[in-house]
Amino acid sequence: MGFSSDPRARFNLEQVSILLLEETPLGMSILVQVMNGFGARKLQRCDSVAKAESVVRETELDLLIVDAMASGGGYDFVHWLRNSGIRPNCYAPVLLTAAHTPAAAVTNARDCGAHIVMAKPLTPKAVLDRIVWVARTGRRFVESDKFVGPDRRFKDAGVPEKVGIGRRREDAVPGKGEG
Amino acid sequence: MSESSKIHVPDMPLGRLIRMPGGKTSGQAIADAEQGLASLQGESMKELNRVLAKAETFYARADGKFDALVVSAFYDLINGAIGLPTAGKDRAIDTMLVSLADLLDYYRSSGDWGDKSVQVHLATFQLLLKTEGIRDLQGTELILAGLRKVSRKAAKG
Repeated sequence: MGFSSDPRARFNLEQVSILLLEETPLGMSILVQVMNGFGARKLQRCDSVAKAESVVRETELDLLIVDAMASGGGYDFVHWLRNSGIRPNCYAPVLLTAAHTPAAAVTNARDCGAHIVMAKPLTPKAVLDRIVWVARTGRRFVESDKFVGPDRRFKDAGVPEKVGIGRRREDAVPGKGEG
Repeated sequence: MSESSKIHVPDMPLGRLIRMPGGKTSGQAIADAEQGLASLQGESMKELNRVLAKAETFYARADGKFDALVVSAFYDLINGAIGLPTAGKDRAIDTMLVSLADLLDYYRSSGDWGDKSVQVHLATFQLLLKTEGIRDLQGTELILAGLRKVSRKAAKG
């Protein structure tokens, strides 16, 4: 995906209210170290779905980083959040982290309503790229009987700026002829 | 029957907050985060040694045959450990853990059990922990490529 990778690009997470859901203490420490390194100060640490649900009810959140967890409880939590009707939290961006996605959970991961699913191991660069990407991309939100969450159909990169003169996407790609 | 649906673009404060004055450059932020992760290295290695000991217990308890409860608990243990080695910057152990999780997930759903395939993963786990920091990169890559072959071969049956 076309994430920003310029090391000079500035960003500010100091005022961003972030919920972290991770059930293992060391996993939580890893997330906290990464987010503190990014300059985030408003972290809500939750080691259980029950605690996370309570925070969602009481605190306005700008970003959630949720682990899928061995039980799959992370998927259920995101599904609950999207269907909770608790505004504005139900629309907040969610980065879902997953260690190993078992074959049986792939559909769950796709349909729970997260903005992005990230495979562990997490690296600071990968996490930052995805936060910045989510922040810069105003995704459409779909609310239907079967799915509530960011539109799963989206482009990761459009026609390059100042190049896309033609009608079709292919017009902007050098070396592609008329077809 | 038609399904009712609504499509809209909700307000997202994150997009505004992240652009506020101050903050950090991404280069500095990544360096600071990596420094924070380095402080967890000792804790990470201690936890991985605990995971290995527990994994060996599960392997012994399986006793060469499929046991649904053991395989499920074994999978949960390995799944929970993926990502922890990164705190110690050890991607090789993470690669081994992902390969073992693939294998156990396959056994969990198929009801099969490949004693030697699991054994070779655990032996590699032990080797990688013991040689942490003094490993030959090329040799490690070869070992990990071998493990991936073992998992893929087991999954093909």
